[in-house]
Amino acid sequence: MAIQGTLSRRALLGSVTAAVLPLVRNAKAAEPLRFGLTPVFLVSDLALLAGLQRYLEAATGRGVQLVMRRTYQEITALLVSRQLDAAWICGYPFVAYRNDLSLVAVPLWKGQALYQSYLIAHRSHPARGLGDLRDTIHAFSDPDSNSGFLVTRAALAAQGEVPGDFFKRTFFTYGHRNVIRAVATGLATSGSVDGYVYEVLREVEPSLVEAAHVVARSEWLGFPPIACAARSEKTEKVAELRRALLGMHGDPTGREVLSMLKLDKFGEAEAGLYDGIARRMLEVSRLPQEKR
Amino acid sequence: MRRYLRKALHEPGLSIPLMVAGMMILTSVIVSKLVLDRLAETQQTHFRQLTGAFLDGLSTALHPYLLRREPWEVYDGIDRARARYSGIESRLVLAVLSDETVLAASDPIRFPYASRAPAFSRYEPGSESLDTLEPTVWVHREIREGGARVGRLAAEIDVRQLQQVRQETLRNLILFNTTLTLIFAAVGWLVVRRTMYPLLHLSELLAQSGDGRLEPIGRPDLPPADTDVGRAYRRYNAAAQAIAEREALLHRLAEEERRALIGRYASAMAHEVNNPLGGLFNAVQMIQRHGDDREQRLKAARLIERGLMGIHNIVRATLMTWRGEADVRTLTSADVEDVRQLIASEAARREIDLDWHVAGPEEYSVPAQAFRQIALNLLLNACAATPPGGHVHCGIAASGGGLKLTVRDNGPGMPADARATLLGQEESAGAAIGLGLWSVSRLSQSLGGRIEIAGPPGATVIVEFPTRNDDLRIRAVA
Repeated sequence: MAIQGTLSRRALLGSVTAAVLPLVRNAKAAEPLRFGLTPVFLVSDLALLAGLQRYLEAATGRGVQLVMRRTYQEITALLVSRQLDAAWICGYPFVAYRNDLSLVAVPLWKGQALYQSYLIAHRSHPARGLGDLRDTIHAFSDPDSNSGFLVTRAALAAQGEVPGDFFKRTFFTYGHRNVIRAVATGLATSGSVDGYVYEVLREVEPSLVEAAHVVARSEWLGFPPIACAARSEKTEKVAELRRALLGMHGDPTGREVLSMLKLDKFGEAEAGLYDGIARRMLEVSRLPQEKR
Repeated sequence: MRRYLRKALHEPGLSIPLMVAGMMILTSVIVSKLVLDRLAETQQTHFRQLTGAFLDGLSTALHPYLLRREPWEVYDGIDRARARYSGIESRLVLAVLSDETVLAASDPIRFPYASRAPAFSRYEPGSESLDTLEPTVWVHREIREGGARVGRLAAEIDVRQLQQVRQETLRNLILFNTTLTLIFAAVGWLVVRRTMYPLLHLSELLAQSGDGRLEPIGRPDLPPADTDVGRAYRRYNAAAQAIAEREALLHRLAEEERRALIGRYASAMAHEVNNPLGGLFNAVQMIQRHGDDREQRLKAARLIERGLMGIHNIVRATLMTWRGEADVRTLTSADVEDVRQLIASEAARREIDLDWHVAGPEEYSVPAQAFRQIALNLLLNACAATPPGGHVHCGIAASGGGLKLTVRDNGPGMPADARATLLGQEESAGAAIGLGLWSVSRLSQSLGGRIEIAGPPGATVIVEFPTRNDDLRIRAVA
């Protein structure tokens, strides 16, 4: 009976293990990784999104949900409220929500985790600097974009100006590609755009970029990072995501995705990378309240 | 104009194809108008539906952005919609705010953000109609929110393709209808031609009967007798046969008349010959009795000579008149004299005073034989109509290049049927009136002469002979 009982216990343990293991596996699969994307990313390419999803799923062993929203603000809100596990956001909201967010990884473009903001104008406009763009119609990317808003706003703030007064009209396009389209088609005379997006489009869509020219480039600033909610930093999911991103360049699918993004790889990042953005935020905050 | 209309009505070979063509043109115009009107209506309906769907889709998509005055989203929406609505070729789309400033345009360089909307983009009654010569039409959609006007959408649509379809339809209609009209007119002409053939054929046969004789239609060419054409052809043949028989009868009667005349003149000639014979016998007796006397002998010889000369003249004139030789000789004064001699005996016999008046050259360019018969017949007729003791006048004179013969009597005047016969108006009168006048009429016609009749009182017949045509050959009718 004892033997029988031992056997029974073993059998019972075996049965329980056999029953629970798939459940654990299923539980992991049932908890997908929710990854947010903002228009900082070149979201127009469905093949790129499919490749990214496929790579992340393979690398993390989890289901991956790519979540896209129209504005940075929406993605940031989802991230801070932990409705997203991680998101590719801009440096500006990362700095703005420094206490609520943690860095997961940062892309390396041309060997470094830096990019510039470009001030561009329609090719028919002979501007050579920001001062030449006074009283023009200006297109910004997003109110929470560093390159697509903050840099120009800070440059004007340094002169004691605000966009609403300096430019004749301004509007947001909620996408860097859209800023270039708005300037290229003449809807706006000038625009503030992510230098990385501009350079990538110069390669993949030269006809679009040809209609504009770069008026001014900012200093090198921290590349838009992959961030997570500070409280989620130590979770397994974020750790898996970090590993997946850092190892992307070692995987064929990952390399394919990086190639489409024209990026070298993902690397470890430190919060100091975004000090330049923080300085600009400070310059803007120095303006009198009624001008901001 | 009326003359041409009347002429056209009597030319079915021309008027019926023209009428068919006219009817076809009228029908074509009406059908083309109906087709084009229907096409225009269909196009307008489709255009309204298409542009309505375009503007509905666009306004639904852009409504929130117009409300929030977001130029990029509106521009992006316009830009995408233009590419997606392949059925509509919009040249320009404008999103205009309620203050009439442009929020976004499909061509932002021409119509920048925040600029004043062009006046031509505003809605005007009838501006959405396709009945325009302009290559574009503006369509409009007002956007309202909670009863308040937010703005409007205006799109300039290229309608050249629709206009081209109309023009092509019109061109094809004209081409098709013209071809159809020409075919119908040609078929009409052929059908009428075929239908009219028997009439034209009969007309042609009648035209060939210049000399009064009709050529019958051959048996192989005769259609069946129970058809209209068959009946008409047979009636024609019957008429041709009747005319031929009548012609033959007239010729036979003329021949008999001629022979009767010969008989009458044979007796007259015998009388004329008999007159000098008495003198000749006297002369012979003078020679027998007083042959030794040279004076008496020469006197008798002169008597014999005159008597023989008289007989000679009578015989020669008779020969000339009745031997029926072909009339190739022109008239001379000798022929005139022959006629006088021939008629003088008849006048004397009837105790009629003959007034003979000849003026002109020795020779006339008129066929001698025909003239002799005409003159003799008219003079005999005049003598017959004149009572004893009456007068008959004969005048022969040159007229223009020809000759004028005047025969006048103081009889009771010429009866109406005799006039008709002489003027060639009523041929059937020949038998009743006597063939003399009928012969005169036929001879005169064949010479191209002209006959005038005057009186009563009395009867005057004037025959004018034209200059002789050498190609003309006179056929003897008596």
